[in-house]
Amino acid sequence: MDPVISVNNLKKYYQVHKKEPGLWGGVKSFLNRKYLDVKAVDGISFKINEGELVGFIGPNGAGKTTTLKVLSGLLYPTSGNLSVWGREPFKREKQFQTQISLIMGQKNQLWWDLPAMDTFILNKEIYEVGKQQFEDTLSKLSKMLEVGDILNTPVRKLSLGQRMKCELISALLHSPKVLFLDEPTIGLDVVAQQNMRDFIKEYNQEFKATIILTSHYMADVKELCKRIIIIDKGVIVYDGLLEKIIEKFSPVKVLKVDFEKEIKPEKLKEIGKVEKFSKNFAQISIEKDKISEKTAKLLSEFAVADLTIEDPAIEDIVREIFETRQ
Amino acid sequence: MQLLLVYFIWWSVFQHQQEVFGYTTASIVTYILVAALLRAVVLGTRVTDLIDKINSGDVANFLVKPIGFIRFYVTREVADKLFNIIFFIAEVSLLIFLLKPPLIIQTEFANLLLFSLAIAGGLIINFCLNFIISLTAFWVENSWGPIFLMSILLESLGGGLFPIDILPKALFNILMLTPFPYLIYFPAKLYLGGMSFSEIAFGFSVIFIWGVILIFLTKAVLHAGFRHFSAVGN
Repeated sequence: MDPVISVNNLKKYYQVHKKEPGLWGGVKSFLNRKYLDVKAVDGISFKINEGELVGFIGPNGAGKTTTLKVLSGLLYPTSGNLSVWGREPFKREKQFQTQISLIMGQKNQLWWDLPAMDTFILNKEIYEVGKQQFEDTLSKLSKMLEVGDILNTPVRKLSLGQRMKCELISALLHSPKVLFLDEPTIGLDVVAQQNMRDFIKEYNQEFKATIILTSHYMADVKELCKRIIIIDKGVIVYDGLLEKIIEKFSPVKVLKVDFEKEIKPEKLKEIGKVEKFSKNFAQISIEKDKISEKTAKLLSEFAVADLTIEDPAIEDIVREIFETRQ
Repeated sequence: MQLLLVYFIWWSVFQHQQEVFGYTTASIVTYILVAALLRAVVLGTRVTDLIDKINSGDVANFLVKPIGFIRFYVTREVADKLFNIIFFIAEVSLLIFLLKPPLIIQTEFANLLLFSLAIAGGLIINFCLNFIISLTAFWVENSWGPIFLMSILLESLGGGLFPIDILPKALFNILMLTPFPYLIYFPAKLYLGGMSFSEIAFGFSVIFIWGVILIFLTKAVLHAGFRHFSAVGN
């Protein structure tokens, strides 16, 4: 089966002009303008199959949103090939546009002064959705998101969580096969975040939709995505299964120890790198191949009350990847 | 308000004379009223809010949806014009009722047909001019300056305040090669009648040529703008 999304050596550079601060800087930049190429995306390649839910992670300015914008046909790529459902996004053909949806958590598409329902009806017309299909999809989505009574309230009166739900419905009424979700949980409280995740998961399974999701919250990605793509400074750092990232990037295991009585942290240095320490608790990271040797040493030298050996948290690994790349 | 102002200026000019620059009281009053109609119908556009949409990045909402970009704006423009015409009729009825000015009512079918054709041409030219300038927002940060400048040019050189054939002949001839007089002056003159065949043929040729150039330019600029678009503000 052909991949739904295929990206090959995609580059997107922006030109930004530089201006020194102040009035004189303004005059100088007017007379002699200096441009700077910002490499937002600098040669990335990946393929995504139908029904996959892929997490796109990276720090601010890594190029995640730019990639999504290029994929949804908003931006013209500087170079490289890409196809989504066998079409080039930038041509913005109708057959392409009715298959996709771009949802940006920080941007609303709903009419501010009107109830969400009006936007839905407008979108129904734009995407030429049949009456029956519209009603079916709407009732299905409203049930999944537990809305219902807020659809006839003007959007400005809704809370952020309610608004995001309406945004989702309006973006999904035409049953897109490919979804680009840019920070869908930004600014939501924990409960709303969880609702959003549950919904995305359910939607992915029920509609067999292919989804790319970007998020700052590792919790989103951990819960939803089997596969992640880590991007930093416009290049892909990692593309693969979420669980494999631990193997690949982290040569250590984390040892959490409770001691029977207070001990001095200096003595622990022989065991491994002490990351956290308080009175009679310590968290030590130890290289994988030395784990049994060092654990034995620890047990023989200290009075240990409790001990666990864990993989480091994915958050920590990702943070470390970004930090070492600085 | 502006209509009243222009009306009274010309009124005072004609206080002591029967004919000025070849216009009689009735023809100048008619010109002014027709020009006002044309201002409402032809000039005035809401295409320019595209500038804010581009600057804020909101235009992205459109670009991901299967909407014909130009078609959308043309449709909205037509709706807006219908709205303007309703207000114009109310305004002018009141004026005619209160001041009872002498008017020329054109009944010749050929003149009315040419008048309508010229309006259609003027609509296309005005739409394209504003659309193209609005689209420059893809490149520059502020497109309101050029829009403002153009609206002044259209009002004055287009014949919204006075019929431009009262200007010196040489200047008038140059102006007739630009698109501006075809928005107000030319159709208003067609309504009044009395233009020679060659003048009419010349006018429509210029409208046609500008129309073709501007439609082509609009599409080219729109296409280039999309390519350059950087979807700022997330």
